[in-house]
Formats: sequence, structure tokens, C-alpha cells
Amino acid sequence: MTNLSLGSRVHYLIATALALFLAFAATAVGFKDATFAATTLFLLIFALLSVSLYSVYRIRVALGNLTSRLEEAARGNLDPRITHIKKGSATGELAWALNDLLDQQEAYFREVFSAFDHASRGQTFRLAMDQGLHGAFQDGMHRINISVESLGQVQQMALKEKMISRITDLNSGNLIENLKSIQQYLMSMTQELGVLGEISKETAHEAEGSRSTIEDLVANLDRVTRMVTETNTQIAQLHEKSDEINQIVQVITDVADRTNLLALNAAIEAAHAGEVGKGFAVVAEEVRTLSENTKDAAASIAATIEAFGLATTRMIKDSEQVKELAEGSQTAVVEFLSRVLKFADSAKISLVKVNKVQDFSFASLVKVDHFLYKQNGYRVIHQGADSPEARAIQTDHRGCRLGKWYYEGQGAEMFSHVPSFNRLEAPHANVHGNVQQAVALLGTQWSKDPGTQSRIYSHFEAAERASEEVVLVIDRMVEEQHKGA
Amino acid sequence: MSIRPQPTQHEKVMNEDDFIVSKTDLKGLITYGNRIFIEMSGYSELELLGAPHSILRHPDMPRVVFKLLWDTIQAKREICAYVKNLAKDGSFYWVFANITPSCDSSGNLIGYYSVRRKPRPEAVQAVSGLYQGMLEAERLAGDGQAGMKASLAILNQALEQRGMGYDEFVFGL
Repeated sequence: MTNLSLGSRVHYLIATALALFLAFAATAVGFKDATFAATTLFLLIFALLSVSLYSVYRIRVALGNLTSRLEEAARGNLDPRITHIKKGSATGELAWALNDLLDQQEAYFREVFSAFDHASRGQTFRLAMDQGLHGAFQDGMHRINISVESLGQVQQMALKEKMISRITDLNSGNLIENLKSIQQYLMSMTQELGVLGEISKETAHEAEGSRSTIEDLVANLDRVTRMVTETNTQIAQLHEKSDEINQIVQVITDVADRTNLLALNAAIEAAHAGEVGKGFAVVAEEVRTLSENTKDAAASIAATIEAFGLATTRMIKDSEQVKELAEGSQTAVVEFLSRVLKFADSAKISLVKVNKVQDFSFASLVKVDHFLYKQNGYRVIHQGADSPEARAIQTDHRGCRLGKWYYEGQGAEMFSHVPSFNRLEAPHANVHGNVQQAVALLGTQWSKDPGTQSRIYSHFEAAERASEEVVLVIDRMVEEQHKGA
Repeated sequence: MSIRPQPTQHEKVMNEDDFIVSKTDLKGLITYGNRIFIEMSGYSELELLGAPHSILRHPDMPRVVFKLLWDTIQAKREICAYVKNLAKDGSFYWVFANITPSCDSSGNLIGYYSVRRKPRPEAVQAVSGLYQGMLEAERLAGDGQAGMKASLAILNQALEQRGMGYDEFVFGL
């Protein structure tokens, strides 16, 4: 009752009526003369007027509340509500009606916000829910959803394009690096092949030199053979001459015998007969003949011996030549041997170079295969998850060329001892794993979901990082294999 | 209000045209509920005001759903979930709840706003199967943390099978 100053016109009216009633009662009846009935009536009217005044006060407070909520709502703050609402009162119904209106408005705005928020991120599944909204709110929501859907689709396309363009960037950036790494090998191979060419040229030159050495050697040996034949002929002639000497010696022996016999006969005749002069003359004649024969024989011997000396001289000379030739051949053989050794060295170097070139070439091949694998992964974005590219991706890190090389082929055989060999498996498995996971996600409704898109991108990115490591390790392995070669 | 109602098999079904609206403060204490809320829950307005929203929690609900719900709205993000609620008389009612954070003009979190609509029966059927599995996992694990983990794993597995995120999943049901 003390709050009357706050009151409205109704308040004042009732308060005035109450005051007038009190004044009227005091003056017209008087307290001491009042009957019981009059007093009761008076108190009853007083109470009624008080209750009316209180009710009006309550209504005013409630209306004040409603007004402030409506003013808040008009200012755009839809959050406040009226609570602690008295059941069954007229203002209570009004409060609930206002709350319902605010609920409709707030739900409407929050739904619109949520739907647009999702659509702006390309999520078209989150449309504004119109369920529970009434009349114009529901109609409005239908119209809004048409916009939300088209915005979502546009956004979806934009996000899809954005991801494709990012992945294309990722791919082309790495493709250049990949090609560069192949280029590096091709350059090294060209260089190694250049060195190999030089070695071959040198070897051919050396071989030409060896040919003339061999020809000289063959010619020398030929001459040695011819000289040996000639020497043999001369030795045969020598043999004939020695027969002749023997015959002559025989003749001389005969002559000496007969001379000896004649000399003996002459001596006997000279002792027996007196007619000394007759017999002695015959003996003397014989002795003369003998001496002549002896003289001829001696001359023949002299001539034979001279021829013999000549032949001997030639034989000695020939044998000296044979010795020289033999010595010359020995020099040629030594030279030939050194050239052969040189060929062997060149062949060894060539072999090392050829091995290196072979490793380079194989490393390039496995790299190209590996790059193609990734390219197939990227192609799935455009070709779809049912494409041949997608099937090609299903090969695991043991089944691809690099894998076969690594686990069972030349790689296991030739490279397993190098320190970096064990470092290849993990990144290689990672490349396959990540590309396969990206491709698996490409089989889902990825174009509608930015979350999936970013996961696809992350997998491709991880595959690229792992691929860089694979290339690095392959290079390192080749390097370690040919260290010092 | 401290005594939990004994759950019964009686189901209340929401009206297609209605929605339940409620507001809570940052601790989850109810600051407002509309008349549909009062009608469905069976509590009076005075009973609801100041009470924790969890008085409506049905024992058939996996705890991890509420954890997910709280984690999401505390990060100022919207969440939607199918929820089985427990009324004062022990009956239950299914809702499709949408909860959004309320912020003041400077962006500070001041409370949460929840609108709950009548769910599609097929969605309720799908979700209650999933929830049953999750609840079972929570019960088997005994320990709170382990149970939540096992339960969440079941949910994530269901999402992975469909190849979609949680939001897309609930809106697709």
C-alpha cells in the first residue's frame, strides 16, 4: 500500500475511493455509535477495496514485466522470458503467449543461423528445421531453406574445386621435384656412359696396337722357322761333305798302305838282287804315282775343308739371327701381356661403371613406377573410385615393382648390406597406406563434406612427405652401394 | 525432486506441431521452460526452475551422449541428438534435441538454449539399437572412463561404417 506513488490512474481512483469511504464512515456514522452490522460492513468494504488495490498493483507489475520483455525483444534481444507465472490468471496467459511468441522467434533465428552456418561450410544436410514453428514462421523457413540449399551447393562446388586445386598444386609441385630426381639420375647415367665410351675408345686403340704387335710377333716367328729350315739344309750339305772327306781319307789310307807295301818290297828286292838299278827303277815309278795321288787327295781335302768352314760360318751367323729374333719375340710377348692386363683393368672399370649405370637406371625405373602410383591416386579425384586408376592403387608396398625389388629381387640381393636399406620400408608402406586411404575416402560422399575433403588432402600430403623420404633413401642406397667407385 | 522417478514402459509422444523449449545457465540449471516442456515432463514450472536439466535423464541413455553434448556446446558449437527423456511420472518420451549456446553481445557464453522436436519413429528405432550397444559397453566396463571410451568407440565405428561425421549422421536418420 505504500507504493501508491507508483500507481496508475486506476490506483489513484481506488485509493481515493478508499480514502473517501473512510472519511465518510468516520464523519457520518462515528466509531462509538457504530452498530456491529455497520462495523462489519465497513470492514468488508475496506477489505474488498484493499484486495482490488493489490490486484491492480499485481496486474501493473505483470504488465510492466511484459512491457520490458517486449521492449527487449524490440531491441533484438530474444533471450529473456517471463518465469514464475501464476496459474489461471489473465496476465499469466498473456505471459505464456508472449513466451511462445519469443520461443517461435528465437527458434526461427537460431535455426536460420545454424542452417546458413553449415551451408557456408558446404554442408547441405543441415537444413533449417520448421517443425514446431507456426504460420508465417514456418512459411518463411521454407523459403529460407531454398536459399540454404542453393548456397550449400554452391559452397560445396567451391570447396570441391578448392580441394582439387590444392591437390593439383600439391601434385604439380611434387611432380617437378620427382622429375628432377629422375633427371639427376639420367644426368649421372649420361656422365657414366661418357666415361664408359672413353674407356671403350681407349680399349679399341690399345687393341689396334696389340694387333700390330701380334703381326710383328707372327712375322718374326715365321722368319725364325725359315732360318731353321735353311740351317737344316746346310747341315745336310755339311753331312754330305763329311762323307766325301771320309772317301778321300779312305783313298789316302789305301795309298799309304800300298806305299808301305811297295816300300817293303823295294827293300827286299834291293837286298836280294844285284841288278840293283833295274828293279829299283820300277819301284821308283810306283812311288812317284803314289805321291801324285796323295797330292790330289790333299788338294781335295783342302777344298772340302774350306767349304766346310764357309758353311760353319753361315751357320753361326744364322744362329745369331735366330737368337735375335727370339729375343725380339720375347719383348713383343711382354708388351702383349701388359696390354692384355690393361684390357682386363679397363674391363673391370667398365663393369663397375656398367653396374652403377644399371643401378641408376633401375632406381629411375622404380622411382617412375612410384610416381605413377601417386599420379594414379590423384587421377581418382577426377576418374572416380571405380576407375582403373583406383584399382591400380590397391597394390600394396610389397606387390609393386619397388616392393618386389626390395623384398625378393635384386634389391634384396644387392642392397641389403647398405646401411640405408632398412630405412626404405616404413616410408614406402606409408605412401601406399596414405594413397589408399585417400582413395577410400574418394569413394564416399567427399564432395559434400569439407571434413572428408581435408582428410583426403592430409592423406595425399602425408603420401608426398613419405614419397620424398622414399626417393631420398633410394638415392642414399645407390650412393652407399657405389661409394668409392 | 531429489528422488528419481521409477521408469515405466509408458511412452508419451510429442505433437508434430509443438516443440519443447528450455533454457539453462552454464551449469545446466533450468532457467526457463515452455508450456510443452511442463506438459511433457510432468513437472510444474516452479519444480523445473533451478533444477538441473539432468532430472530428465533416462537410465536407458548412454552417458557418453551427454558428454559429447556438453563438450560440443561448451566449445560454442551447436549439437543435435536423439534423446530418451524421463518424465516425472516415470513414463518416457523421445525427442530430437537441438542445443545451441547463448552468448551476450560481447560473445561471452551465458547459457544454453534447447529446442526439442518430435523425432521420426524410424530414427528412434535406429538410434535406440545403437544406444543399447553403447549402454551395454558402459555397463560392462564398470569403470567410468573405460566405459565412456568403449561406448564412444561403438559410436565412432557406426560413423565410420557410414563414412560420415556425427552431424550428418543424426540429420540423415
